[in-house]
Amino acid sequence: MINIIINEWKNLIRDRLFFYSTIFFVLSLSLVVWMGILQQENQQQSQSDAQNHVRKQWENLEAMNPHRAAHYGSFAFKPLNILNAMDGGINDITGNVLQLEGHVQNEVIYSEASQALSISKFGKLKSSLILQYVIPLFLIILSYGSISKEKESQRIKLLILQGASIDKLVNAKSISIWIYGLFLLVVTVTIQSILGSTNPEIFKRLAFILLSYGLYYFIITSLSTYLSATLKDKTSALSSILAIWILWTIFLPKIWGNAVEKVHVLPDRKTFKEDMRAERNQGIDGHNPYDKRREELKNKYLAEYQVDSLLQLPINFDGIVMQADEEYGNLVWDKHFGSNYSIMQKQKSLYQFSGLLNPFASLQSASMGFCGTDMIHHLDFLKKAEDYRRVLIKALNDKHAYGGSKTGDWKWTVDSEFFKSVQGFTYETPRISNHLSRYLIDLLFLFCWALLIKVLIRVNAVKVNVL
Amino acid sequence: MKNLISIQNIIKSFKNLKAVDNLSLEIKEGEIYGLLGSNGAGKSTTLNILLGFLTPDSGTALINGVDTTDNSDEARKQIGYIPENVSLYPYLTGVENLDYFCKLNDKNHSPEKLEGFLDKCGLDSEFHNMRTEMYSKGMRQKVGIAIALAKEASVYLLDEPASGLDPLASNELSALLRKLASNGAGILMASHDIFRIRETCNRIGIIKNGELLKEMDTSDVSTNELENIYIEFMKN
Repeated sequence: MINIIINEWKNLIRDRLFFYSTIFFVLSLSLVVWMGILQQENQQQSQSDAQNHVRKQWENLEAMNPHRAAHYGSFAFKPLNILNAMDGGINDITGNVLQLEGHVQNEVIYSEASQALSISKFGKLKSSLILQYVIPLFLIILSYGSISKEKESQRIKLLILQGASIDKLVNAKSISIWIYGLFLLVVTVTIQSILGSTNPEIFKRLAFILLSYGLYYFIITSLSTYLSATLKDKTSALSSILAIWILWTIFLPKIWGNAVEKVHVLPDRKTFKEDMRAERNQGIDGHNPYDKRREELKNKYLAEYQVDSLLQLPINFDGIVMQADEEYGNLVWDKHFGSNYSIMQKQKSLYQFSGLLNPFASLQSASMGFCGTDMIHHLDFLKKAEDYRRVLIKALNDKHAYGGSKTGDWKWTVDSEFFKSVQGFTYETPRISNHLSRYLIDLLFLFCWALLIKVLIRVNAVKVNVL
Repeated sequence: MKNLISIQNIIKSFKNLKAVDNLSLEIKEGEIYGLLGSNGAGKSTTLNILLGFLTPDSGTALINGVDTTDNSDEARKQIGYIPENVSLYPYLTGVENLDYFCKLNDKNHSPEKLEGFLDKCGLDSEFHNMRTEMYSKGMRQKVGIAIALAKEASVYLLDEPASGLDPLASNELSALLRKLASNGAGILMASHDIFRIRETCNRIGIIKNGELLKEMDTSDVSTNELENIYIEFMKN
């Protein structure tokens, strides 16, 4: 087998078209990775500037009532992993800045307005585009005729007479082309590692990216070579593998995606907000002094402090009410968003099962996941940002309640020293080891596909007609 | 002497067309058998059955006692094959092509030995290290012969081996085959080239519509006589 692989490589290397194509691919990949990293660094810099600006504004807030500061709020920035330059995943659509304020759980805003036009028209040029679409297509072009041309030239008879079997030929030829795919992959990952800032976590993610793409390329080259061996000529082999490729990359993802949305239905934005508002209205209205539930809370505190009126309380009851209102709001949010979260998780899982029919779906899921740009990572950011919002608002409400003011004293203020003491939001992309189990199914499907094609080759190679 | 090639009552049909019809022949050690017939006579089908690429509907084909249907891999190990059109890897040189085909057969010959095989087949040494994309059909044919020769097989199957060779090279091929036969090889050469068959073989069989019509020793007929016999059979 090694002799066949060496022979294939000798032939490939001496083929001028192949040589120039390789130069083209290496240059395009280098350029795309480099541009991606530059774009990423610019984006990161802008985000960092905005984050510093927001923090500076917060720290230099004029003296004001903590509740007013809660309405003023802050922002949570989703830092972009360096691997975002490789596969942007859903980041380009979801945006990466979240406004944090009292009473309100906002949605992510500001999804790169500067690049909105190009994204809406073409999508972003990332190396994943080349790795997922262009290189597999080139591997197909290299492999679809690998056995057919041996059959058409009748050289296959000589090869078999000399001791090469069909399955050995199919395996060796597909491995030769697969090695080429791996080479381009390694070039991309190496450039990414050299140009982008890396750390052990990034290396771990890159290793999984290599594994996922490596398995997918193996599937593509083996299937294409297998079809080349089993179908009657080059044209049939090319049209079949292209039909499969189009089905995998264009039709099945859309069909399965639509089916998933029908099976696990997410409420539309309007219904979601209305349901939230309706349930939220059943809680304490922090700004309505005649609210019944507020009365109950007031009586509880009056009894606890053994006083007769709010003015006699040593604390500011307004802050207590605001926090109680906030906590009720949190429960409502957790219930509704939790339900959405669960639906999104189910959608993701069901979509991952499309890998059973479509290895490309598994590759895409694994690629986004290992680059940290998929829905699972995005939901993690949303959760951490919401957790921070709760800590921030509680700190402000507690200051309002226990900071020394009395109930009804809305003119009481805190100065910037207090605002400085409140920690800003920091977020780190979670370690891949924490989420690895979510992507094992993608790797498993890719592995099963690779195995299935190997079995097909093994079983059907003997039936191949060489004449 | 031992039978190296033995075909017994082979029948092979493709749909309604009988390509080989109850064919039997035997080739012993040291014998060169010429299967003479026009296009579509059943020569290539017979060779493909012997090569194990086709399964006969009935009958048996043995190479050195090994059944080519039941044990094709083992039978193939003993066969050196020269097709009508030798297709080589165009970006490899003659030596590299030969080396590759030898390695597939687990034979690691030194570069000198490889060049020796090419010399023996009449390929000028100036072409040995030239890419075969520059080769003529005859030059490719010579490399094909060298591949079969380097296999050091006991049985050689040749399908129009002189096709594309110039007269000198054809003559050298005949001499080479005779030398192989004198060393004990059994050779079956399918061709419609009456002159080359007469020059090379010890025994000749005329095949038409898959049927072996006549067998004769080469020593019994001149080229002209052979041509007349052949034309007569083809006309009837």
